[in-house]
Amino acid sequence: MTQYIVLFFQFCKFSVLCFGGGYMLIPLLTAEFVDREGVLTMDQFGNLLSVAQVTPGPVGLNTATYVGFVNGGFFGSLAASLGLIAPTIVIGCSAAAGIARWKDKFVVKGMLKGTRLAAVALIMFAVTIFFGMSIFTGAIPWEAFGALFRLQRPVLPEEFGVSPSGILICGTVIVLMVKSKLPTTVLLLGSAAAGALLSVFL
Amino acid sequence: MDDAVTMSTTKRLLLLYCSFFRITALVVGGGLAMLPVIEEIFVVKRKLLTREELLDMTALTQTVPGIIAVNSAVYIGMKVAGVPGALAAVAGAFTPPFTVILIIASLFPRLDPHNRYLLGAFAGIRACVTGMILVTGTRMFRRTVKTRLECAVVLIFFVLAILKVSPALLILAAIPFGWCYVWWQTRRLEQAEKSAGPDAESSSNESESASKDAGEGRS
Repeated sequence: MTQYIVLFFQFCKFSVLCFGGGYMLIPLLTAEFVDREGVLTMDQFGNLLSVAQVTPGPVGLNTATYVGFVNGGFFGSLAASLGLIAPTIVIGCSAAAGIARWKDKFVVKGMLKGTRLAAVALIMFAVTIFFGMSIFTGAIPWEAFGALFRLQRPVLPEEFGVSPSGILICGTVIVLMVKSKLPTTVLLLGSAAAGALLSVFL
Repeated sequence: MDDAVTMSTTKRLLLLYCSFFRITALVVGGGLAMLPVIEEIFVVKRKLLTREELLDMTALTQTVPGIIAVNSAVYIGMKVAGVPGALAAVAGAFTPPFTVILIIASLFPRLDPHNRYLLGAFAGIRACVTGMILVTGTRMFRRTVKTRLECAVVLIFFVLAILKVSPALLILAAIPFGWCYVWWQTRRLEQAEKSAGPDAESSSNESESASKDAGEGRS
């Protein structure tokens, strides 16, 4: 029972801190479940996000249901997704009633300004996490980069390498997103097919 | 507005539940991808919301914490039928992804973990998401970061995140920083106005207020 309550409050916390949409959940989730508790490996987390992306529904809610399931089965899912929703209902109802009017007030304005800057930084951080899961094989070894500042030769971990198919797909997606208005569903399914095909050649 | 006035409460709640059920069951990607569907149902077909209210909603759902999809459900539910409406809309948004993911998650361990096509497909999706976040992140950076100081702050937060400072802590630290920053900005603007006088407008002052206006227009 306690584990469900813990899960519920963990996701309450994520929900309150999640300024700027579902991608913000990625650094929060990896910090909690991969780095601190170790219930998931980075690889499992990557697969889980892939599933959350291609199944219909909001990515945040999908991820919460899935992480909850891995942590404690059906009731784990329920606790996690309800945890993600509960603060939103409270905050959202009061916001719909009032915040629009307080938008120019100092307290709200300053809070939004600060959290927005932090949100941009954390999404940039989420990009580096994803680089470690797709473009490179293995997490980016920041410690090795630290050696450069001490004017030493960096020692890269053995499993660290570059994935050609990852670069190919990621590059194509960036070009398509900037140049065309293809729906993300098409991009995701196309990438899945391309990944399956390229796994034969590369 | 005929429809909006005559509709009974039960009918409204049912409409909210079914609409959001449909939206999250069909729309892949979530968040802002739902917007066109919401517009079609609530603005064009049922006339329960105006276009302006929808625009307000998109701004609000992105500034309030929480995932965008649930925020939108709460906001529209509130507008159409008060707090019960918000609950009905959220319940509708919650049901399909919860069921679908439960089924997938319980099937997942039974899939062959060494099937190369399956692994390849997942690797493909991950690479795609990397590109998508990169593009979204760049757009967000351009929209949010206006001055050199703000850019420096973002970089500091980014480096701290890499150094494994907890993201939760970073967001909480950003709030008092935002207060100081906005206080400092308004004070500097006031001083600039005082020293410049009514008719002497220096070009830097002009661009400052212009960028500030642009920032506020989007918020």
